[in-house]
Amino acid sequence: MSKRPVDGSVSEHVPRRRLGVIVVDPLPVVRAGLGLLIDDRPDMEVLAEAGTADEGIEAIQRTRRSMVIVLVGLGLSGDHDAYWLIRTLRQRYPTHAILGCGANADPTAISRALFVGADGYVDKNIDPVDFLQALRKAANREMVLATPTSSVVGQIVEGIDRRREVEVKLTHREREVLVVAAEGLTARQMATRLGVRERTITTHLARIYGKLGVGSRLGAIRMAAQSGLVSVGAPE
Amino acid sequence: MAARARVRHAQRVTQRGVAFPGMIDEGAVRTARLVVADAHPVVRRAVRMSCETTPGLDVVGEADSVRELLAVCEERHPDVAIVDIALPDGFEGIRGLTEHKLAGAIVVLTDRVEGSVVLGALRLGVEGYLVKASALATVGRQIRRVLDGERVISPEVERIAVAELGRFARLAREGSEVRASLTPREHEILVLISRGLTMRQVATRLGISPRTVETHVAKLYRKLEVRSRVQAVSRAVSLGLVELR
Repeated sequence: MSKRPVDGSVSEHVPRRRLGVIVVDPLPVVRAGLGLLIDDRPDMEVLAEAGTADEGIEAIQRTRRSMVIVLVGLGLSGDHDAYWLIRTLRQRYPTHAILGCGANADPTAISRALFVGADGYVDKNIDPVDFLQALRKAANREMVLATPTSSVVGQIVEGIDRRREVEVKLTHREREVLVVAAEGLTARQMATRLGVRERTITTHLARIYGKLGVGSRLGAIRMAAQSGLVSVGAPE
Repeated sequence: MAARARVRHAQRVTQRGVAFPGMIDEGAVRTARLVVADAHPVVRRAVRMSCETTPGLDVVGEADSVRELLAVCEERHPDVAIVDIALPDGFEGIRGLTEHKLAGAIVVLTDRVEGSVVLGALRLGVEGYLVKASALATVGRQIRRVLDGERVISPEVERIAVAELGRFARLAREGSEVRASLTPREHEILVLISRGLTMRQVATRLGISPRTVETHVAKLYRKLEVRSRVQAVSRAVSLGLVELR
């Protein structure tokens, strides 16, 4: 047993440094509510909040901590949606704990968040005590899944596996083509968007159909959507 | 004995005769029928005792193998099948029960608590996962909760499942990233190596020089972050890039 320093700066209950949390959510009321809940605890604090993915990244860049918890509201939408943010943060800040956060999110959304790199998911619809406990667990590098029902684990795994199966079959370029195809563009429009010839696009599409075992573009898009590779209109 | 069989038969008839099961007179709780599958007679007896001291539960069949479990359930169509997933082919047994709808609900009662086993069972959609060490004595009560529509998973099992889920998600993501980084040729070679072909055989098969194969393999190792063929194959399997057969 080592002696604790005598100046009293360290004690059992108040850690030297409070756990820093950054809240990124499109809804101001959610940010305010989470802010009140977290700031009320002696062992954690909200360092910053943001309403869009890009503001979120700026806020995270400003904090100089090696470890913060980032709560990413799955409701973030647009080109830089929640999944884009999670993926980007995972690459840039491997030591931060990133948690998806939603209200009764469906298992597909949760699998999608975990697949792109979230360290867990917390639902806004659970008891506040459990919510805070989930943040502490995440700070301890534990995987966290705090949902109102415990029945979702199986479905989440199933979703991740579907995604993996689709992705493992396709090359990086084929995935890009599929994501653009899901926006409903013609082959010519897709070619312009990706800066290649129309012929290249049709070759890619034919190969994608073959690999996924589908007969049409609709079949391929349906499979990509079920796997969470694309959500209608919002690429990652 | 004959009287009991008659009662059971009558219950089954009532069950079939009612168009909307939810409308059964709620005052009379229907006796739930259970089947227990476990390799050990002692465990089956313990489950029987726990269930028979719980009102409204009746153990109508036992099995010590998956084959027997499926046969018994096909004949009796129990409300709940209690299955030890450690039985040989335990996973196939549970899959068989769900596919052919042979049991109303499935509850795993086992000693196995490895992440992959727990997660595998939850994926099959079981309604409960109980660990013998802590739940054997109270299994009747837990079954009651399942019959009330609850999913019964002990907190320790839930924690194991969630940790495994995180590992699974990470491997899936890494697998997808590594796969995207491989050229078609490298992927082709990876598949051949994992089938056990030597470098020379790979070269012959693809009609390229062994030297070229070596160059591809070196790049492949770097991308997979491994140093040997065995490591390459094991990593490719865990990332889901190839299937062993």
